[in-house]
Amino acid sequence: MILNFQMNSLTTVEQLEKGLWRITARSDDDLFSAELTLDVKTPALDIRQAALEIRRDALGLVPDVSGAMTKLVGVRVGPGMTKIVRGILRDESGSERIADLVLEAMEMLVNALTVPELRKATQMVGVPVRLEIDGPDVYLNDVLLGEEHIKLMAGNPRMKDSCVAFRDL
Amino acid sequence: MIMLVYSRTKTIGVQKQGANRRVVSGVLEDELYAMQCEIMVNWDNRTIEKVQTRMKRFTTTRCPLAEKVFAAAQGWKLDSELDGRIKKELGRMGCRHMAILMVDACRALARAELARELREALEKDPGLDNKQFLEDFFRRYPDLKDYLRLE
Repeated sequence: MILNFQMNSLTTVEQLEKGLWRITARSDDDLFSAELTLDVKTPALDIRQAALEIRRDALGLVPDVSGAMTKLVGVRVGPGMTKIVRGILRDESGSERIADLVLEAMEMLVNALTVPELRKATQMVGVPVRLEIDGPDVYLNDVLLGEEHIKLMAGNPRMKDSCVAFRDL
Repeated sequence: MIMLVYSRTKTIGVQKQGANRRVVSGVLEDELYAMQCEIMVNWDNRTIEKVQTRMKRFTTTRCPLAEKVFAAAQGWKLDSELDGRIKKELGRMGCRHMAILMVDACRALARAELARELREALEKDPGLDNKQFLEDFFRRYPDLKDYLRLE
């Protein structure tokens, strides 16, 4: 079966130097292509630089959001960022698509920062598993966090509410 | 030396199966998760007929429970309410990463239809007026006007 349409996105997080992160989010489909770059610095995790390149816009409908990009500088990755970013990018002359791209980039930094915590926990207290939904010949999940340690992880401020598994515990 | 710390790829493909059926498949892969979803839509009424999801790689024993949640989207329409319903009614109950993949997949499906019709229109009229084309498209699919965020 031959596809009629494709959408691809790639978001990467790099550490430029200690405490300085660069997130690059690229989205491509038949109609549209854009690349966003955010530089974010610890300890506040505030955006230091935001840049957007629209590579292709078949219908020519994406507005000029260069002013909004400037307003992103200073916005922090963390609680409340969704409302703030949407407020900056979704006004009458704004773009919900670009707002989504910015939020996805910011969320990937959150994910990147949770990886060491999850890796450490999985190595220390992970439970060996062989799940029915995995395999049957090649298993992608050999060790998972069990119920007891999910509750412990949910108490970690960095992990709490980062996904459904760590909520409402 | 600068090295990659984290990356996420999402790829979504849309198929036109016959006059009225559309099938969209989405795959998400990053350091923490790998998952996929397939959605079948009746294009005549823009309604989701079937959803199947697979949590492939994850971090906790709770994650695979999310697979049961997403089939509830059967019967939902592609309209301005859809994103919110998927995120709130499915994402918060199952897995918000899968919910994001599903939102992107449904939106890609609507964009695919617009792109397909745009190609056909351009073949007939290379000097096509974009504005007029969009007005005609949304006259035929008024429920997509607030759903397809083209700006």
